[in-house]
Amino acid sequence: MNVSKPQSFRPDDPRVVLAAPDEPLLTRAELRELEAAEASSLPAVIESAPKKRRFWGKLFWSAAGGLVSLALGLAITNLVQSLFNYAPWLGWLALALTAIASLALLVIAGRELFAIFRLEKIERIQKRAVEVLVSDDRDEGRAVVGDMISLARTMPRLAKGRAAMENYSRDIIDGADYVRLAERELLSPLDAEARALVSSAAKRVSLVTAISPRAAVDMLFVLFNTLFLIRKLATLYGGRPGVLGMFRLMRHVISHLALTGGMAIGDSIVQQVLGHGLAAKLSAKLGEGVLNGLLTARLGIAAIEVTRPLPFAALPRPTLSDLAGNLLPTKKDA
Amino acid sequence: MALDDYLEEARLAGRAFADYGAGFFRPTVRLGVTGLSRAGKTIFITSLIHALLHGTRLPVFEALNSGRIARVRLSPQPDAAIPRFEYEKHLRDLIEHRRWPESTRAISEIRIEIDYQSKRGSDKTLTLDIVDYPGEWLLDLLLLDKNYEEWSAEALALSRQGPRATIASQWHTHLASLDPKGPADEQQAITAAKLFTDYLIACRDERFAMNLLPPGRFLMPGDLAGSPAVTFAPLDLPRDEDAPSGSLWAMMQGRYEAYRSRVVRPFFREHFARLDRQIVLADVLSAINAGPEALSDLEATLTAVASSFNTGRRTILSSIFKPRADKILFAGTKADHLHHLQHDRLENILARMVARASRRSELAGAATDAIALAAIRATREAVVTRGAEKLPAIIGTPLAGERIGDETFDGTQETAIFPGDLPELIEGENHEWKFKGLAAASHDETDFRFLKFRPPLLDASAGREPSLPHIRLDRALQFLLGDRLE
Repeated sequence: MNVSKPQSFRPDDPRVVLAAPDEPLLTRAELRELEAAEASSLPAVIESAPKKRRFWGKLFWSAAGGLVSLALGLAITNLVQSLFNYAPWLGWLALALTAIASLALLVIAGRELFAIFRLEKIERIQKRAVEVLVSDDRDEGRAVVGDMISLARTMPRLAKGRAAMENYSRDIIDGADYVRLAERELLSPLDAEARALVSSAAKRVSLVTAISPRAAVDMLFVLFNTLFLIRKLATLYGGRPGVLGMFRLMRHVISHLALTGGMAIGDSIVQQVLGHGLAAKLSAKLGEGVLNGLLTARLGIAAIEVTRPLPFAALPRPTLSDLAGNLLPTKKDA
Repeated sequence: MALDDYLEEARLAGRAFADYGAGFFRPTVRLGVTGLSRAGKTIFITSLIHALLHGTRLPVFEALNSGRIARVRLSPQPDAAIPRFEYEKHLRDLIEHRRWPESTRAISEIRIEIDYQSKRGSDKTLTLDIVDYPGEWLLDLLLLDKNYEEWSAEALALSRQGPRATIASQWHTHLASLDPKGPADEQQAITAAKLFTDYLIACRDERFAMNLLPPGRFLMPGDLAGSPAVTFAPLDLPRDEDAPSGSLWAMMQGRYEAYRSRVVRPFFREHFARLDRQIVLADVLSAINAGPEALSDLEATLTAVASSFNTGRRTILSSIFKPRADKILFAGTKADHLHHLQHDRLENILARMVARASRRSELAGAATDAIALAAIRATREAVVTRGAEKLPAIIGTPLAGERIGDETFDGTQETAIFPGDLPELIEGENHEWKFKGLAAASHDETDFRFLKFRPPLLDASAGREPSLPHIRLDRALQFLLGDRLE
């Protein structure tokens, strides 16, 4: 069992190295090995079941994409060539424009990719944090919080919380406690703002729905408002999604909403609205507005849960009545 | 159940009712700092008070860290008859003289008032009462429900096992010469009690580190020294017979009963029956130091002691008539004797040792947790590289006279120490302890060696009182008090 017997060394012995305060005892490589070992021991994700269909789908989209790019390339080449035939200077101009356009496209693509990586990183942090909260694993907790701190580096307003967290790296704190501490230190200012964002979006939606003349108008408004809200929340929590990232986020938010029971029938506030017949007592339009506002708030909560880098553990999860309570000022009178 | 048992229950309920009334106007938490002797109760209490008073770094303790605690102050204690916990003296010992407080000889008490703002925003005050007592007395709880014959048989059986048999040989020889049914003789009783006490004291030596040694006042008599209540000993008794009157047996029995009603029950009534929260400190490392027998002994002691706690979920009825501790924290103390990479293993060992006790409390509705704790951290951490091998080590100043391998320390020189790798427990596997401790091997042959260190050298510059370093004191506080400060 023991290879090494207990023994003593003089502190000035060159072999004795004082542990640097914030240096993890496992090296990065060791940690990655550990992660890999753990990942392989975890049960496979259920999503991977319909692999075959995915393969053919992917094949189709890649092939079709290739065809489209070929066609585009051919069209541009033809255009440049015919312009050269017309007048050489026009040809050169077209060539230069093509070069500039492709450079810009490259940069945009790079940015989109980068944004997706960022979103993925946040998702990964969140997933790992959930695991640490259960396992209370110290090294993994340190690693997650380390990633969280490096994410926070891009958010100037978190400087104070970040400094506090870096200060704590000397203390011996267990995994779950460390994640909770990071949540308290780093996310409480962001949470307050996220609540304000969702709450104001919900108010805006309910107002516009109530006064808009046509259903199409408020549908469009709700759509844009929602996209805008998700984007703002993601940016707030360090995500900065691009166009592709927005698609991805939308998908996640909606599936999260579906998982947590879309309409939230169980939510007391909706029950109150429906149960007391408040919506019916008010004018139909106003009732519709309140309901739309509630839905927006509900979606906002789902978006917060998806975009937030750490799960709600130490801080209270926002509830519908926090965010949409002010939509129903007449609740008590009703 | 005898009449005096009912009386005792009635007394307990009456006391609880009075407390409930007082607590109604002044929310109070009675924190039970439970632990065997040398487990570090006094140090834990001192460190806890110091941390609260001076706002030490306690990142995990949410109320303090987020700034909701406005003021903490010591205030006069409720019981006029009990001495005050000598916080200032213990602190001076630790900081100025760098020595650990002397072992506790009598009971003492302290009250702390915490002004805080609740999460909802109202200003509140929480009163925290803490009692310190000699850890030896804790063992008396094991006698609460035993009569003399039961205790006598158990104590004898125990003294004939393992390393105890050799320690107890002298007492056993004297015991063989006694006739329980013979006439009572004071001198015989005195000799028997003396030899029995010697045996108990010898068991506590660092080499054996035994704990299951009731009755507690034999080890730490307090003001009872020499009185008949502590002048008795187990006898080799025949089964299914009654004590003839006037016999040695009857005398011993009478004294045992007196001990139980004069010493054990009041102690339980005044301190244990009234607790709201419990922290059980256990010096697991010293037991590991001594060997597998000491470890099993500690396990048996903790299980037995914990079975006499009132634990369980709080209900209105229970808090009026029979207060129960709804949170119990088991803490393996002196975690600073280990590198923090090994704390998980220490926690696992402790969790396994108290598994039965904590399951019982959880079934009753109480929350339990097991952590590795160092109320005052006396060491720093380092890594020793030896070829390709990296040994996680700790650096501290061992007390004068401590030895490791062939080296003896003088109490001034700092040393890096690798204490050995704690065994890793695999869940669900029935683990037999297989290692050599001091009870079976000499100083340079043991598998583990946990030395005693001096308190840390603190930087008292700039006229500020230095803060005491700790390990997981914040987690302990969060678990014990966090929800009462929300």
